[in-house]
Amino acid sequence: MGMLDYVRGFKVTFERLFDERVTTEYPKEKRPKPERFHGRHVLNRHEDGMEKCIGCELCAGVCPAKCIYVRGSDNPVEDPVSPGERFGFVYEINYLRCIHCDMCVEACPTQAITESKLFEFSFTNRSDAIYTKSELVVDDEGKPRKQPWELWHEGDDLNTSGWMRATSSAGRVEYEGVVGWSGELGHGVRSPEVGQSATASSEEGA
Amino acid sequence: MAAQSDETQMSFFTTENRRLADVIVARYPKRRSATIPLLHLAQEQHGWICDDAMIEIADLVDATPAEVKGTGTFYEMFKFHPVGKYVVNICGTMSCKLMGADELMNHAEQKLGVAVGETTEDGLFTLEHAECQAACTEAPTLQVNYRHEYRVTTDDFDRLVDDLTAGRRDGDIPAHGTLARIRQEIPANRAVGAVPPEEVDGPPAWLPQEGA
Amino acid sequence: MSNETASEGVMVTINGMEISVQPGDLVIDAAERAGAHIPRFCYHPRMSSVGVCRQCLVDIDTGRGPGLQPSCMVPVSEGMVVDTESEGVKRVQEGILELLLINHPLDCPVCDKGGECPLQDQTLTFGPVESRFIEEKRHYEKPIAISDLVYLDRERCVLCDRCTRFAREVAGDPLIHFMQRGNQTQVLTFPDDPFNSYFSGNTVQICPVGALTAKPYRFRARPWDLSEVESTCTTCSVGCRINVQSSRGELLRYQGVDIDSVNHGWLCDKGRFGFEAVNSDERLGTPFVRSDSNPDELVGTDWNTALEAAASALKAASGSSVGVIGGARLSNENAYAWSKFARTVLSTDNVDAQLGDGLCAEMVMSLPRATIDDAATADHVLLLAPDLKEELPVLYLRLRGASQGSTKLIELAPAPTGLTRYTSAAHGYRPGEMGQALDELLGGATGDAMRSGRTVVVIGRPSLADSPGEVEAAVGVAQRLLPEATFLPALRRGNVLGALDMGLAPGVLPGRIANDGSSQAWIDTHWGSIPTERGMDTIAMLEAAASGRLHTLLLIGADPLADVPDRDLVERAFAGVAKIVAVDTFATASVKRADVVLPTTAFAESGGTTTNLEGRISTLGRMVTGPGTVRDDWTIAAELAWRLDADLGLESLPGIWAEIEAVAPSHARCSPSMLSADSEGVLVPLPVVAVPEPDEIADDDADTSEADTSEAEVDEEQAEGAAAVVEAPSVPASVSWSAPALVDPPAVDGYALRLVARRRLYDAAVHTSQASSLAALADDSTLRVHPAELGSLGVESGSRINVTTARATIVLQVTADESVPRGVASMGFNQPGISAAELIDHREPVTEIRIETR
Repeated sequence: MGMLDYVRGFKVTFERLFDERVTTEYPKEKRPKPERFHGRHVLNRHEDGMEKCIGCELCAGVCPAKCIYVRGSDNPVEDPVSPGERFGFVYEINYLRCIHCDMCVEACPTQAITESKLFEFSFTNRSDAIYTKSELVVDDEGKPRKQPWELWHEGDDLNTSGWMRATSSAGRVEYEGVVGWSGELGHGVRSPEVGQSATASSEEGA
Repeated sequence: MAAQSDETQMSFFTTENRRLADVIVARYPKRRSATIPLLHLAQEQHGWICDDAMIEIADLVDATPAEVKGTGTFYEMFKFHPVGKYVVNICGTMSCKLMGADELMNHAEQKLGVAVGETTEDGLFTLEHAECQAACTEAPTLQVNYRHEYRVTTDDFDRLVDDLTAGRRDGDIPAHGTLARIRQEIPANRAVGAVPPEEVDGPPAWLPQEGA
Repeated sequence: MSNETASEGVMVTINGMEISVQPGDLVIDAAERAGAHIPRFCYHPRMSSVGVCRQCLVDIDTGRGPGLQPSCMVPVSEGMVVDTESEGVKRVQEGILELLLINHPLDCPVCDKGGECPLQDQTLTFGPVESRFIEEKRHYEKPIAISDLVYLDRERCVLCDRCTRFAREVAGDPLIHFMQRGNQTQVLTFPDDPFNSYFSGNTVQICPVGALTAKPYRFRARPWDLSEVESTCTTCSVGCRINVQSSRGELLRYQGVDIDSVNHGWLCDKGRFGFEAVNSDERLGTPFVRSDSNPDELVGTDWNTALEAAASALKAASGSSVGVIGGARLSNENAYAWSKFARTVLSTDNVDAQLGDGLCAEMVMSLPRATIDDAATADHVLLLAPDLKEELPVLYLRLRGASQGSTKLIELAPAPTGLTRYTSAAHGYRPGEMGQALDELLGGATGDAMRSGRTVVVIGRPSLADSPGEVEAAVGVAQRLLPEATFLPALRRGNVLGALDMGLAPGVLPGRIANDGSSQAWIDTHWGSIPTERGMDTIAMLEAAASGRLHTLLLIGADPLADVPDRDLVERAFAGVAKIVAVDTFATASVKRADVVLPTTAFAESGGTTTNLEGRISTLGRMVTGPGTVRDDWTIAAELAWRLDADLGLESLPGIWAEIEAVAPSHARCSPSMLSADSEGVLVPLPVVAVPEPDEIADDDADTSEADTSEAEVDEEQAEGAAAVVEAPSVPASVSWSAPALVDPPAVDGYALRLVARRRLYDAAVHTSQASSLAALADDSTLRVHPAELGSLGVESGSRINVTTARATIVLQVTADESVPRGVASMGFNQPGISAAELIDHREPVTEIRIETR
């Protein structure tokens, strides 16, 4: 083993030394997340401030990790929490169990639960890991509420109610690009994602 | 049943109508069969059928008020809210529509100052839309308390309203609810009587008897 | 009865398969048996077919070519060809569902029915992919409360007529009805006349959509997060089969299970919503002992301290100075444990599961027992009973249903009951004269009619203001004049007949045998020696306590202050006794007077078995864990025994049942697998098998059909009074009873009214008062008197009056009621704020009251 071998060992290093850097200074810098990134959930509200969650427990029913606990209750007539008869009285997600599969988002009939792109949280006890309704429901501006154990940077709280279904639940091509949900606090009516058919992909969303 | 205690101070039927009600109930093998005749009687007395009437009828026919109301509300001609002395039904089905029923209705609304379905403030007229009144050759038609008026022009309508208001038609158009048949008194010897259908063995008693 | 004729039914072809079905069966049922499920909304097997929903249309060909006909309306006929899957049928199924969904709001996510909804399920299976209807749906105010317990959402209603039919046909409370017509048709009550039926909850269960929902369950859970176990309701002694459902350790709903022999799927509202009482925050969760420093206070403590205190209280009493009252609310196993504890550890026969408000145990056990089905198919049912609608509601439903058929109900009651309007003859009697009235009734043509057919006599306490001796004498009359009749005891508490079977009555040992010398050898082999001297019943125990002859009272789920029809006696007894140990679920009035309180498990918190009024044994399901540190009764009994230097030898519920099977002759061969094999339960005593096959007896796998035939035969066996099992010669004979002679009725006091005190369904007891939805329904706290009596007394209806007996004067509101006979005053026994027990002197044959204006 000569000196030359030693230098040859650095061949790759020298080759890459002046290439563009791929490593980012996480957590100081963050790369933009994919459109459909699955982070922690938020519970959205309608534009008038009412909660979208109606306490139907479909999310809890579909959850493969059984990490969601929901209880509905009769909506107070004078001071309704959500439109309609029923509202989500208890809403808890246990992030020690959640696998961010987004089945809850798919199941939600009111687009109340969506996944944000926030994923950086390190809790030191179990109760912090169980997000309750007051922690999940967006604030009066439609932004998620920052918990003490979450790492946020500039702009992380924008557009947090992640992706929504692009097409009608029946999957019909005619409904591609047609918004099937109501506007939400802080975001208004979000434009639909582009669907899967060739014709729709060439068009702008309505 | 007839023995009401002093506690039930409320009695919807007048004494005379109460007597008639008992006669009507006695006509049927089952008390319940008297429900509709009694509803007619109530409507005749009151112009429309109020809750008190149904409670009393329920008591008379051994049913619950809910059953009486359920039976009554099936029928268009029973009114469960106050109506005017004259209920005017303007036909809006094909022939009448072609012959100007819409214009007539429009005119009627203007003339009476109420929308269809409403009652005038003086409590005299209730204006209603109706489906075919089976007089298509005489279109457009209307009925006042179910008495026909044929080929009604807007002028005819105005005259009709004026006549009714002035009481000039009292002879042939009685107040809403009045039904002559309800007053029918069947003499005992011709009454069908409370015979259960399966026990009937001869022709109906009211048919003219042979040799009579 | 004769299931054998099934083989000679009519042959029909269903979807190409030829099967034999019973003539008279409906096509929809026949198809179900052939494995072809036909969708339906209006059809319900326990109600008449109406054919209004049109969902069950199928192709039926009776020789004239196939045509669509509603399968719930067409009975099978020979050679009929049915196609449930043809193109035409599919089209019509889709069409009907599309029609129903035109106005049905798709608010399934917030609907309580969502997830268990026949409309959802059938739309998925049989419905169209999409609706062509894009217009705005019909709107109504939603939901409206049609009673205190039921909400109605008319938007969801598909007008199937199930609830209205139930109200009319089954419950007999047609307070809901279709109103309006055409597109406006809706189910409604009359204004200000809510659907206050004792059975309103059933409409929620049978509603095929979410139009009717129950207030206590509203938005509490979704079907998929409920766990369930089958059990038997112990609210009363009818023993309705139920599914107990819970979510996250909390009871949320009971649903009726359809069994032929008892409840047909129906429940009363008190049973259905009784889970609220189990969930109550007021449940006792820790033991309590009376404070040393402040004798007015009960302080919470640990089990060790409490059990020690209880044991020392019991140790201080000798066999004759201890009394055990209660046990009728417990499972058979728990009742057995207390029975064994009393006899073997406390060495006393002073045990009584009834509180002076029941019937003589020996009488109930020795009379030939009828089943509910016997009563519902009898030619005549003679009612010598309390108001069954109030006390045993589902038995009321069954008898009411029977009265619509060929069964004639004949009632003898001091005041009209809920069944009176369905009787073919209702006879009154002046309280105190029941026996004489019955003698007269049965001596005449009515008696001849009853003797010529099959007659069932329902016996109970028509009024708690009269002495039980009156009923016993009357039963003697019935037995004498109706020698072929069988008897159905209308006792009220959940497992009172099971408790009596387990020996919780003086002079009676488990298995309906007498605790006299005759059974000594038998019981010695199982329990060791026990006192054979007959002990005291509840009234006698209380009298002994009042005169200082009793040291310790052990109350097992008993509240004598509320339930014994003589409040004054109980007060004196509690004052006269040195120690009271109470085992209970709630701090009732009596429990608050105890020196030691041991909290115990309630319904659905423990397993075991229960016995209904027919003697039908069925299983109880354990679904949730009780509050705090509650324990099962049998473990408390075992612990106390251990602290009293004895060993009950009981280790588990199945172990106790095995012991019951061995010890109680009436329960012999009733194996756990027989009990779990069938929701119907097992009627004991099992008939003696003609040729006993040793392995059949030993083998636990007795199949269902065998249990069925056993039931069919059992009443004949019982008629012979034969609990005598041939296998063991030493088995003692059943208890015997001879009727007391008729006594002359008390002289009529022209200035007094005779009191009729009967329990109401919703009363002041914990089962109602601790159930938040039911508590407000217990409202009838008035004295009902005929208006003419009031007139002669110069008392206004609605005024408050003094009601005086020799015992007490209480203030009550009086209501004029024409249905109450002259000379009688009727009141609820234990309603909020009033208690008839205060007025009653148990020594008097009747209770005479005087009314004065205040």
